[in-house]
Order: sequence, then C-alpha cells, then structure tokens
Amino acid sequence: MVLLYCLLWRLLLVLVHINKALVSWLRVRLRNWKGRLWERAMAALLLPVALAGFPDHQKELNQDPHANTNPVTGNRSAGRRSRWLTDGRSLEKLPVHIGLLVAEEEPSYTDIANLAVWCMAVGISYVSVYDSHGMFRKNNSRLLEEIVRQQQDLLGVDGSKCNVEFLSKGSDKHQHHVVSCRPTVKVLSPEDGKQSIVQAAQQLCRSVENKERSSKDISVSMLDLLLRESKNVPDPELVVKFGPVDSTLGFLPWHIRLTEFISLPSHRNVSYEDLLGVLQRFGACQQRLGQ
Amino acid sequence: MSWIREGELNLLEKISANILKAGPMPKHVAFIMDGNRRFARKKNMERQEGHMQGFNKLAETLRWCKHLNIQEVTVYAFSIENFKRTKNEVDGLMELAKKKFEKLLEERDNLEKHGVCVRVLGDLNMLPLDLQQLIAKAVVTTKAHNKCFLNVCFAYTSRYEITNAVREMAWGVEQGLIKASDVSEALLSECLYSNNSPNPDLLIRTSGEVRLSDFLLWQTSHSCLVFQSVLWPEYSFWNLCEAILQYQLNHKSIQKARDLHGEDQALLQLEADRACVAEHMQHHGNGKPADAQRRQEALLHYTTCREERIQDFLEALKHKRDSYFNDLWSDGILA
Repeated sequence: MVLLYCLLWRLLLVLVHINKALVSWLRVRLRNWKGRLWERAMAALLLPVALAGFPDHQKELNQDPHANTNPVTGNRSAGRRSRWLTDGRSLEKLPVHIGLLVAEEEPSYTDIANLAVWCMAVGISYVSVYDSHGMFRKNNSRLLEEIVRQQQDLLGVDGSKCNVEFLSKGSDKHQHHVVSCRPTVKVLSPEDGKQSIVQAAQQLCRSVENKERSSKDISVSMLDLLLRESKNVPDPELVVKFGPVDSTLGFLPWHIRLTEFISLPSHRNVSYEDLLGVLQRFGACQQRLGQ
Repeated sequence: MSWIREGELNLLEKISANILKAGPMPKHVAFIMDGNRRFARKKNMERQEGHMQGFNKLAETLRWCKHLNIQEVTVYAFSIENFKRTKNEVDGLMELAKKKFEKLLEERDNLEKHGVCVRVLGDLNMLPLDLQQLIAKAVVTTKAHNKCFLNVCFAYTSRYEITNAVREMAWGVEQGLIKASDVSEALLSECLYSNNSPNPDLLIRTSGEVRLSDFLLWQTSHSCLVFQSVLWPEYSFWNLCEAILQYQLNHKSIQKARDLHGEDQALLQLEADRACVAEHMQHHGNGKPADAQRRQEALLHYTTCREERIQDFLEALKHKRDSYFNDLWSDGILA
C-alpha cells in the first residue's frame, strides 16, 4: 500500500512538472506569435508610408551619406527611451525601490543588466539585485560593466539621465547627505539580511554595555533608523522573484514588511513586456495597512 | 463553535492525504488568514459574522493538519496595526477572542486528550486586562501538552518581535549575563516569541494578496511561500493539498539554501569567537605572539564560556517569561 502511494506521489509530481513546462512553453509561443502578428500589422500599416517616403530618403542619402546615420540610431534610442518613460507614467503607481531576486542557479548578467536598465528607464529610482549565493556581490564589477554597456545599447550613448552608482555595503558613509536624483543600482547579498540586523542589535547592546542607554529605550523606530542608515535605501515596495523557488531566500527580512512579491519563471531571455506586466500587476495592488 | 473538530477525512481526502504523505511533509505551517471581511461583504453578512466564519475555518484547518501529520500551526490572528481599525471592529474582535479563549478553557479535557499546546505570541500588554488573564490561563493550562502546537499571533508584528528580542538581549547585557559580543543570529532567534518552535516550512496567505504584512519576517526567510487567491472562510482541504504540493516541489532547493545558510552561520560564529580571543590575548598577553596550540586552546575555552553564558541567559529569560504568565494567571484567580 505504502509503495502504491509512493508511486502515485511520484506520478503526481511528474504531472505537475509536465503541466508547468507546458504552460511556460505556451507562454513563450504565444508571445512570439503575438509579436510576429504585431510586426506584420505594423508592416502592413507602414508599407504605404515607406513607399511614399522612400524616394525622399534616398535623395537625402545621396546628398550627404554621413549626416543621416547618426541621427537615425540616436532617434531610435531616444524614441525607445521616451516610450519607456511614458509607459512608466501611464502606470497607476510605480515603486520607488524594486528588488530583483534571482532564485536560479546560474545568473545571466546580460538579462539582469537589461532588467535594471529597463527599471531605471521607466522611472524607478532604486534597483537592487539579490541572489542567495552572493554571486552578484562577488562579481560586482562584471554586473556594473554589463549595465553600463546595456545602457549605451538601449538608451544611446548619452546616458546622462541614468547614471549607475554602486553602493556595495558600507562603502559610502558620506553618501547619505547628498540628495541624489539619479537612479541607483544596489547589489545585495544574504549578509545584508539577518546579519545586518544582528550588527544593529550588537551596536545597541554595546551602548547598553557602556551605560549610554537603557534596554527599555530600544524601540522599533530606533532599530529601523539604524538599519536605514547602514543600507541607505528605502524599503522595497516590489520584489520580482525569478526562478522556480518560492521563497525569499533571506532577502532583507526587516525591509520586506509591506513588499509585494511577484514571480516570473526565469530571468533568462526575460522581455521588457514581462517586466511591464509585473509593474501593471503591482499598480493594481492595494494596501490597507492593517485597517 | 469548538476549537477541536473530531471526525475523519472522507475516502477521497484520505487517499489524497496518503499520496501527499509519501513525499516530504511540512512539519510547521503558518497561515495569514486573510479575506474574512471581503467574504462577509460578498455574502452580504455582518463583518463580525465574517470573522466568526474565519475562526470556524481555523478549527477545520487544524483538523486537516492533524490528519496530514502537521504538528505545528502558527496563525496571524491580530496585528498591532489592526488597532488602527474602527473602535467598533476592534472591540468586536476582542470580544470574539475572549469568547474563544473561554471556550478553549472549557474544552481543556479534550485538549489534553489530543495533546494540544496553545501559545500566544505578541505583546499581551496591549490587550484589555481580562483578555490578558484569559490568555495566560489558556497558555499555562496547555503548557505541558506536546503532541501538536498552535501558535496564535495576537497583538503581533514581526518588527516588534525582533525589536523585543533585541531588548531582551540588552536586558541580558544589563544584568551582566551576556556580553554585547555574544549577540548572534542564533541568539536573536532564541529571544523571539517563537523561540520554542522550529521555523515554519510553509507559509500560506489567502485572498490573493502577495505580501507578508509584517508576519514572521525573520522565521520565514527560508520557508516556502504560497499565495492563494481563495478567501479564508472558503478555504478547502484541496487548497491545503495544493499548497503542500507546491512545498514538495520546492523542498529540495529550499533545503539546500537552508543548509548553505547554516554553514555560513557556523563560519561567522567561529570568526567572531576568533576575533574575541585575539582581542583578549592582545590585552592580557605578555607581548609574546601566542603559538598555534595555545591559540587553539584559548579559542576552545572561550567558546565553552560563551556557550555557558548564553545557556544561563536563556534560562533567566525563560524564567522571566514563565513568571509573567504565571503572575497574570494567579492575578486572574484572585480577581
């Protein structure tokens, strides 16, 4: 009997796995199909314009072949950028701080860099990247390079609106006096989680040890202030989790009190539309704050 | 309605339960029972009736958990933030809690039969005194039971719980029981309200919300989180099975992450001990650099001392907490 149940359980698990794979396959197919349909519709619409515009364009090209090349690429990225900005504005609400939690074995730096750049382009001021192995922290500079490169690719060379600052733990004591309006990318690892709470607790206990403070004075807001100072980021309103594991895997426990968690199956080959979909879902979330 | 539901599962449920039990099962499940008010609105009933139905669903869920061999359940009954609701609703909830804890005390024989231990996590001082005394009575009465455990988070938020743990450690420092350098992740966990429980394996939130709302933030950092769209009073056995299945799919990778975290923890503790020993040697050494063997001995000695300190402190803390409940209880009897 026990053996039978074991078999049935394995069968059930296999079925669930097949179901999951099927759903994600369909999702990709549907997206490609929709994308192709969209392309075709656009082509059909633009065909007359292109035909009409083509002779003029060629004439110009003949006149000055160099003058045209730069503005075209420049225009494309400017167009893309303004589209992303309007997308950001059209949302009901936008998080100030978004967390990207990667719960997959091998991180893809390009995809994470893409995501970070898109987040900044729609107008999110803080982007933090986290994985439970601390891989991004270890390869900090690689991610930074990738982000700068993607920024140039996606937004054009003139990336003045989205500068990247890397605030790895503790390296920027002087920073928090400067009011910066530039978006910030932060790389987080498990040691920023419980360990930073322990450090704050140690700090408070030391001040009690030195008779500077009584244990009764310790309050939630005091601890919150200490943690805020060391991290210098607001609480994330939204965490996007990538991968098949349904857990926060130690992501900043103190800070995720009111964070909305939205999952995507993988960060590999993730598209801008996927991110926009998540942001739209976030826009629809309502918080009652206990009431 | 009673806390303990008798009755077996029906045949189909029993078969499904047995199939699930062939896989890894969660030992401790936490619930955010969300959606009572939305349920009441949907069914055009009084808000209080919605809360009532929510409680009945909890009793039913406990029965399912018993049949699924889940020994421990933690529920979010009332958050500190909930005091912000209208006075009418807060009073109603306090009244409901009072009735339910009275009922629980009436059923003490049944609780003993099933070995149910009820714990209440939160700052009881925020509650009306008569409710505090009732809770203390329920907690003290069921303390010795050890077959299944129900933790009710009442006047609770996770940040408050963590802060309280820091406060307790600072108290230990004030009393001279521990040093500030003894503060560690493991010690903080031991000072939480939930110190007697293992961390939850599975956290379930109903009604489609996808946030933790200040519930067990520390304890669920390596738990499987399942968000389900069903409203709590409509929760069914099959919803629970679905959540458990999701836990089973996650089990391996979460276990791996937990083990990794445990190893990191041990390493950190060793480093901290080494640093303390090094500092001690610098202050008290006679200038000569210590050889490896002496350093190893000093490290061992330091670790044993630290563990003893922490043991004494935790005992003192346990005594403090027990006497808080006992005092409340005896005050209740006198009054």
